[in-house]
Amino acid sequence: MSTTASKVPVTEEAGGSTVPAAPARRRRTGLFFVLPFTVVFALFMVWPIVQGIWMSFTDQSLSLRGTEFVGFDNYAEAFGDPDVWSSLGNTVFFTVISVVPLVLLALCMALLVHTGLAGQWVWRLAFFAPYLLPVSVVTMIWQWLYQPDLGMFNQALDKVGIAPVGWLSDEAFAMWSMAALTVWWTIGFNFLLYLAALQSVPDTLYEAAALDGAGAWRRLFSITLPQLSRTTVLVVMLQVLASLKVFDQIYIMTKGGPNGSTRPILEYIYDVGFTGYRLGYASAISYLFFAIIVIVSIAQLRFMPRKEG
Amino acid sequence: MGRRGFLRFGLAGAGAALAPGLLSACASPAASGGANSLRVWDLFSGADGVLMEEMIAEVTRGPDAFEIDRTILEWGSAYYTKLAMAAAGGRAPEVAVLHLSRLAGYAPGGLLEPFDLELLAEFGVREGDFAPAIWQRAQWDGEVYAIPLDTHPFVYFYDLDIAERAGLLDSDGALVEMGSPEAMLAASAAFAEAQGGIGVLFGHVTDPAQNWRLFNGLYAQTGNTFSLPDGGEPEVDIDAATEVVSFMQSLFDGSTNPNNLDYDGAVAAFTDGRGASIMVGEWEMPGLRESGRPLGAAPFPNVFGKPAVNADSHSYVLPRQENPDPERRRQAHRYVAEMLKRSLAWASAGHIPAYQPVVDDPEYAELDPQSSYAEAGEIAVLDPPTWFTGSGSNFQIRMSSVIQSALLGDTSAASAAQQMIDESATLLDQPNPVV
Amino acid sequence: MSAPTTTRPRSLPPAGLRRRRPQEAAGAPLLLGHGRLPRVLAGGALGIFALLWVLPFVWTLITSFQSERDISSPGFNPIKGALTLDAYRQVFDRGTLPIWAFNSILTAGLVTLITIVLSTLAAYGFSRGTFRGRRALLAVTVASIMVPPQLLMVPLFQEMLAFNLVDTYWAIILPQVVAPMMVFILKRFFDAIPRELEEAARIDGASDLRVFWSIVLPLSRPIVSAVSVFVFIGAWNNFMWPFIITSDPDLMTLPVGLATVEDAYGVAYAQSMAAAVLAAAPLIIVFLFFQRRIVKSVATTGLGGS
Repeated sequence: MSTTASKVPVTEEAGGSTVPAAPARRRRTGLFFVLPFTVVFALFMVWPIVQGIWMSFTDQSLSLRGTEFVGFDNYAEAFGDPDVWSSLGNTVFFTVISVVPLVLLALCMALLVHTGLAGQWVWRLAFFAPYLLPVSVVTMIWQWLYQPDLGMFNQALDKVGIAPVGWLSDEAFAMWSMAALTVWWTIGFNFLLYLAALQSVPDTLYEAAALDGAGAWRRLFSITLPQLSRTTVLVVMLQVLASLKVFDQIYIMTKGGPNGSTRPILEYIYDVGFTGYRLGYASAISYLFFAIIVIVSIAQLRFMPRKEG
Repeated sequence: MGRRGFLRFGLAGAGAALAPGLLSACASPAASGGANSLRVWDLFSGADGVLMEEMIAEVTRGPDAFEIDRTILEWGSAYYTKLAMAAAGGRAPEVAVLHLSRLAGYAPGGLLEPFDLELLAEFGVREGDFAPAIWQRAQWDGEVYAIPLDTHPFVYFYDLDIAERAGLLDSDGALVEMGSPEAMLAASAAFAEAQGGIGVLFGHVTDPAQNWRLFNGLYAQTGNTFSLPDGGEPEVDIDAATEVVSFMQSLFDGSTNPNNLDYDGAVAAFTDGRGASIMVGEWEMPGLRESGRPLGAAPFPNVFGKPAVNADSHSYVLPRQENPDPERRRQAHRYVAEMLKRSLAWASAGHIPAYQPVVDDPEYAELDPQSSYAEAGEIAVLDPPTWFTGSGSNFQIRMSSVIQSALLGDTSAASAAQQMIDESATLLDQPNPVV
Repeated sequence: MSAPTTTRPRSLPPAGLRRRRPQEAAGAPLLLGHGRLPRVLAGGALGIFALLWVLPFVWTLITSFQSERDISSPGFNPIKGALTLDAYRQVFDRGTLPIWAFNSILTAGLVTLITIVLSTLAAYGFSRGTFRGRRALLAVTVASIMVPPQLLMVPLFQEMLAFNLVDTYWAIILPQVVAPMMVFILKRFFDAIPRELEEAARIDGASDLRVFWSIVLPLSRPIVSAVSVFVFIGAWNNFMWPFIITSDPDLMTLPVGLATVEDAYGVAYAQSMAAAVLAAAPLIIVFLFFQRRIVKSVATTGLGGS
């Protein structure tokens, strides 16, 4: 994150000033503290990254046959693979239709709760509890809600005389259904971030505004929302990255169907690598996707307001 | 250096240091079976699942009882992915069920162990006990990798009363021959009239396999082979394929027979009595019979001349183990043999036992309507044998969706046939990851 | 979260007074005006949201107390159905849920423990250390925050094959203990602790480890518990990695087992909802007891410890 860059030199000075006291010992101070983490980090982060790059240039298979170096074949294939593009398109579509409500609704909820209405813990529990559910529990619940004949939604539609909807089987609805489920499931996290941010807006700002005779809406737009801008950027950033990485709920509920219309890129990587055995090709797609994530992250970092102003 | 060698060389030491200790002491402390239990995987849920449960319960009783730890995973690619990953990981179950059509994706890649035929013979199961067509598909490179439990063909169910009224039963009470496309269409019209509704039901919309099953059987009847040679181009007779698709279009024309049903919709239409007959897998038999309609069954009508029926076979395989235990492997062979000998029970769900001594059993002949399509086992046509085909595969999904557009009228038969060949070529173009 | 200083007006009351809310604000919170209507509207909107969010839970609970036969009969109204515990009984009879719950507790617990030990040590080392290459190592660690672990599934699976760890608890746990984000959060916290205490102890002859253990850690209890809660929830709910690395149902965690293993009798909705209720219960109950701490943990850790 961008803030580290400015943090590091500060501590450097503080640490540096004590060096002359005991030079020999100081030179390795901290090394043994960092070592265990570094070993694990090297084994399960750095090594797989390197190994994955190597694999992406081979035709490595899940089956036990040998492996050959294939150069850029996998990358070339990925660029021409329509399924890569369609699953990428699905991922972006899901990201757009999930991030918008996940940010805006969370903000509304947090603002409403922050008004100080009675029953604070009830609201917090209601909005945050779904976030604590394991994904399979969420999918079990929603599979049942979306059930074509007996599910809650189609029963409700039936009551008002609307024809049943194939929530998960109709290509026009499936991705929206997945987004709705995701909003219900994960909004509590953003909600809490906003609530915490609201609570740390200094009261004095409001007091000063009240003295100036600013009304409720004025205070909302000229104090509260500007004060939340940093949080909003962070929430959007975290949410975009989280939505791009969608896999669990879609894989469990639709396996990417109907007709590939909900398959996100991570599922395609899984399908290619493990179902189709082609680990090398799956690695290549992973790195292409990683490149996109890095670009998105960097683009977002440029919008980050500097913390130390 | 092979990839495993390369990796093991550098990392085996680290792995050895990590693996033992804390957790291996309590490896699977909550395991539901004992240390000696045989772990078996299958994909049977619903009626088949319950039947399998009963068969397993039977072998866990008596003097030579097994201890069985059964796991059921979701049918389709989910199951096959897990099976391959477990086999690659080396801690796979001792026995697993595999569709025979998928063997080409497992045996050549080293994910399965061959059966020891001498050991099987010791437990009473020999090559001669199986139909040659099926036995031949169970082999790869001279070894036997799969022991078939059943053959499950795509068959033709009909209402006996309506067939009689339509004059479609012969003197023995069996369905008359429908030896040409015209005869089949005429029979369909007669069925529709006698029913006062739909003649032939077929559910295919968004189904991952139905269209391919129907096509595959009919195409084989034309005397051609849908061949997908490794590293080559698909060898498919486009005229025959076009003929088959256009026959499917004229059979499901949207007036005599609907062209837009999905799987459950078609089954429901038969059980509700809205249609006279249905083309569907024999595994739907228990459900269809429950509807109370007088159920007749026939092996798939021979429309194009050469007897052939699309089918697959649930087979037992031995997934690869990193450290196989000879005694467990022996028990696995014995288990497979015992299950085959009890497959008369399995036939009650509609499947044709692959183990011929059971089929020859007079008790089997009494099973109705199962025995009326028993011959389908000998003319079974499976998917073309290559690594990406088979039940639950992407290949079947893609073929089915092309035919679906043809049946829904979005594509002509000729361009659907061409598209099937093109899509097959695309799949063949992928580097083969198993050999 | 430190409030930005730039936007604060000059005419502020002294810092000591800032915490106290003015009298009139006690009854009329800051965002709303004084009228009755805005409160009613806000309450109504909030009520609708809450209802929408609670409804799936209610529907789940009601379903779980119905009999399978009632649910699948056409035109069934769950609210009027007779209540039964059958579904729960059947879930317990299957016996798999406790195994998966055990696996989840074991793996999430160990992931949390190991992550905390490794991350606090590393964070302290990065904060106070002066060893060579510290800055480079820190930069790599921070940069790796951007790498989504999901994208490493293929090489990580391959690595587990090489270690011969596929289908073991270690394979579930080890990749999850690498938490550069947590190291970063903890390091920022340690950076803010004044060094005088440590220096004094060191002059008394205490070793680095001793200083860390008896001075720094006690001061860091809030952040460490916040990070622990966050890591635990993450590991408890992690689906993708345990799903990829375990095929043996006896080793599966709760989310993986529920989503993967089927029942011989096919889909049964009451049973499925009963299992959902049982699987959801532990964390929801914990939340009810430690609400304040969990909310705080998410709020601080979620925003990168700011």
